[in-house]
Amino acid sequence: MDSVLKITGKIIDALGNFCSLLMVLMIINVFYDVIMRYFFNDVSIGMQELEWHLFAGMFMFGIAYTFKEDGHVRVDIFYDSMSAKKQALVNIFGSIVLALPITLIILYYSWDYTFEAYQMGEGSGDPGGLPHRWIVRSVIPLSSIFLMLSIFHVLIAQLKILTAPTPLEAGEE
Amino acid sequence: SALAHADDDKQYRWRLAETWGPNFPIFGDTTKNMAKMVKEMSNGRLTIRIDSSNKHKSALGIFDFVKSGQYQMGHSASYYWKGKNFNTMFFTTVPFGMIASEQHAWFYYGGGMELMKKVYDQYGIMSFPGGNTGNQMGGWFKKEINSVEDFKGLKMRIPGFAGEVLAKLGAKPTNIPSGELYTALERNTIDALEWVGPSLDLRMGFHKIAPYYYTGWHEPGTELQFMVNEKAYNSLPKDLQKILTVAMKVAAYDMYSQSMHASGVNLASLKKDYPNVQMRSFPKPVMNALMVANDELLKEFAAKDPMTAEILKSLNDYKDQVRAWTNLSDRAYLDNFDAKK
Amino acid sequence: MTGIVLFAIALVCLFLGYSVAFTFAGVSLIVGTIVLGADLFAFMPYRIMSIMENTILMAVPMFIFMGIVLQKTGLAERLLESAAKLFGGIAGGVAISTIVVGALLAASTGVVGASVVAMGVISLPVMLKNNYHQPTATGVICASGTLGQIIPPSIILIILGDVMGVPVGDLFRAAALPGMLLVVAYVIYILILGKIKPEFVPPLVVTENKRELLVQALKDIVPPLILILTVLGSIFAGIATPTESASIGAVGAVILSVLYGTFSFSKMHEVSKETVKVTSMVFAVLIGATAFSMVFSYSGSEYLIEEFFMELPGGKWTFIALAMLAILILGFFIDFIEIAFLVVPILLPVAIALDVNLVWFAILISMNLQTSFLTPPFGFSLFYLKGVAPKYLKTTTIYKGVIPFILIQIAVLLLVLFFPDQLIIS
Ligand code: NA
Ligand code: NA
Repeated sequence: MDSVLKITGKIIDALGNFCSLLMVLMIINVFYDVIMRYFFNDVSIGMQELEWHLFAGMFMFGIAYTFKEDGHVRVDIFYDSMSAKKQALVNIFGSIVLALPITLIILYYSWDYTFEAYQMGEGSGDPGGLPHRWIVRSVIPLSSIFLMLSIFHVLIAQLKILTAPTPLEAGEE
Repeated sequence: SALAHADDDKQYRWRLAETWGPNFPIFGDTTKNMAKMVKEMSNGRLTIRIDSSNKHKSALGIFDFVKSGQYQMGHSASYYWKGKNFNTMFFTTVPFGMIASEQHAWFYYGGGMELMKKVYDQYGIMSFPGGNTGNQMGGWFKKEINSVEDFKGLKMRIPGFAGEVLAKLGAKPTNIPSGELYTALERNTIDALEWVGPSLDLRMGFHKIAPYYYTGWHEPGTELQFMVNEKAYNSLPKDLQKILTVAMKVAAYDMYSQSMHASGVNLASLKKDYPNVQMRSFPKPVMNALMVANDELLKEFAAKDPMTAEILKSLNDYKDQVRAWTNLSDRAYLDNFDAKK
Repeated sequence: MTGIVLFAIALVCLFLGYSVAFTFAGVSLIVGTIVLGADLFAFMPYRIMSIMENTILMAVPMFIFMGIVLQKTGLAERLLESAAKLFGGIAGGVAISTIVVGALLAASTGVVGASVVAMGVISLPVMLKNNYHQPTATGVICASGTLGQIIPPSIILIILGDVMGVPVGDLFRAAALPGMLLVVAYVIYILILGKIKPEFVPPLVVTENKRELLVQALKDIVPPLILILTVLGSIFAGIATPTESASIGAVGAVILSVLYGTFSFSKMHEVSKETVKVTSMVFAVLIGATAFSMVFSYSGSEYLIEEFFMELPGGKWTFIALAMLAILILGFFIDFIEIAFLVVPILLPVAIALDVNLVWFAILISMNLQTSFLTPPFGFSLFYLKGVAPKYLKTTTIYKGVIPFILIQIAVLLLVLFFPDQLIIS
């Protein structure tokens, strides 16, 4: 179980680093476009579109990374005063009943959505815009797959907490 | 027969997705008119609920919605699908193409509907004219355009094919989200933008920040579009099919009248309240350069796809023929009228 | 009816303590599937895509990045502390500096998530370090981070302009005075609090003499201030759109850190990862909320609202009073975009029929919607701040902290309601 956690954790950490890269590239991209337009009077709609392609990849993939890092905001009025095992129960319940089904259904429907754009060869309709709209659309199913991996990772980690001996039992050992 | 009778009573509840937001004037009135007519004419057997962009959250997803059958109908503009299929663009308007009345004639009597069907059939979508804005204005400019040189480096929000034409003259088509357009034009982040015309521009407030309002060239008769999912259409009894097509046609024509009316009213108030706004036309050499660039671009596309070539030939042949009559009738009348004044 | 059930279930699940984003999304899926069928969720890719290609929202990660750079390099702390000391070590100095910086950020963007989070990472640690009353500290940040809603340029004004058919420029001008009034009211509140409960907003200990202080302050305040003014200036000079100006802020913050010798690649890596986490948290909430609002509106819950307004008794003031009250109450549960798109179109014909000045009405609505960011349980500013606050800060602390500011907002709203001629520039 620990080795599975380790491997999935590593993959998702790598994803987090990739998202950081996308974020830095996005800032550079936007800044570059501003400089080019204002100082060199040069505008490229392709570059402008690239901005939101990077933006979309960054936060969509980042959702899985944030999930693993427990960075998604909670209302903690009761949660904070629960024992670790009760918290694990909430997380297991939430992962299976709330997070997993919506991730699966988004994966299911975004698959067609992406394939559609691929089949039609859809691209930007604006002058100098980016071709291959399916690439950015595929961010949705891909991010769902990463999120499933992350949910799996958290589930195992929380199950471990739930099944661990309680502190009292541990003391007896 | 008993079966046919059962069908007569059957209720059809359809939904239409439109590109526009709720209460969007004129465009939004068109779908409401159509749905109301359908309901009344069918005695409530076919009802159409309209979902504006606030509901489906995807202004440019209409094509996909209707194709997949998530919505039975859509209201949008064909040139928005240019990125999916270049040929869809011709069924809205073309730079230096026909004006609304000429284009109507082309659609219904000049083979336009047949060509549109040819393009849309592969997607299981039926496309119908969805209302005309009339001639659109060339846009709001912060600087005067006196020569082709003035287009060099001009940063303008002008999407789609017209943007490509301008880019050929050295302009820089620029993407600005519509929520930031006003600020961008006010602060000179962009030098110009095009929207629609007096009927819809005034609510955007551009007349307060741009001194020049140029007449049009790139959208001489923008026709919106009703889309119907073919399977859904075929599931309707014959009489409801007829009711639907008639209602679409009437609502579309009514939109043309409403656009004309709103443009007249708003232009009058613009002239009265903002006398400093100057209405201009691009000088002849500029227009010629635009026309040459437009022809070259269209030729390039026609060389790539026989369907493009076929549509373009139909459009150009028809325009040449009908324009002679427009010149002899409306243009001559208006010229004479002005001369007498 | 479905809408009410949806709210109730979401509320219960929310208090269990599972993540807000997935609670919204998951509950919507369950309720939506039962009531309308799973097919409804074929719309989700479209809705997610419309968030992905919304370039106005792109300002969110860039401002968050700027905020975290300023925080991790210690620049923000120095800015706020120096500014607070400069206020003569008066009680509430840091809070007032926070409000001023919040107002400046608000004037550079209309994106609430970005400013709340940026202020949260910049000034919350400083206030907590100085033993501020925790609810007050969080309240100040939520309130000043939400100022972006009313101080132009503002997203809600742009949306309202579109929905109501009023020129956006007019709305921006009309919002200027009410926005400033709100800032002044916040500052006055903090000053009064400093008099009544000095232990809530303790002054910084000032040991330096006046001249030393001034030199130090200049060194600390001027550069970040230049940064913020550059962000604003880039909009006013037409160099960048409000969205793009955020990239200037982000790059500028990195340059500042280099100048101050606090830059390092490992720090930047840390900043980037932190930015990704916070941004993804914000956008996951947005995606969850879009699933929620999808089920809400496709189940026809908006017709209930419509019925309510159609049956209102006549009269301009009754209408405005009830409309404001209804928006305020709805604001507890649904987000401002939903209200702008679902409720305002219903009110609009009535407002026109009653000859209500639409610009004034739009400002009233937007001030009211600003409050919805702060009202528990579904106030987005509260979620955003919670996402970046230290773990020991409880949601209830934040809930408590925003109450005075909600009351101030209502008071200013009433002022605009009764003195339109003085407060609305047309
Ligand atoms: Na703002
Ligand atoms: Na709220």
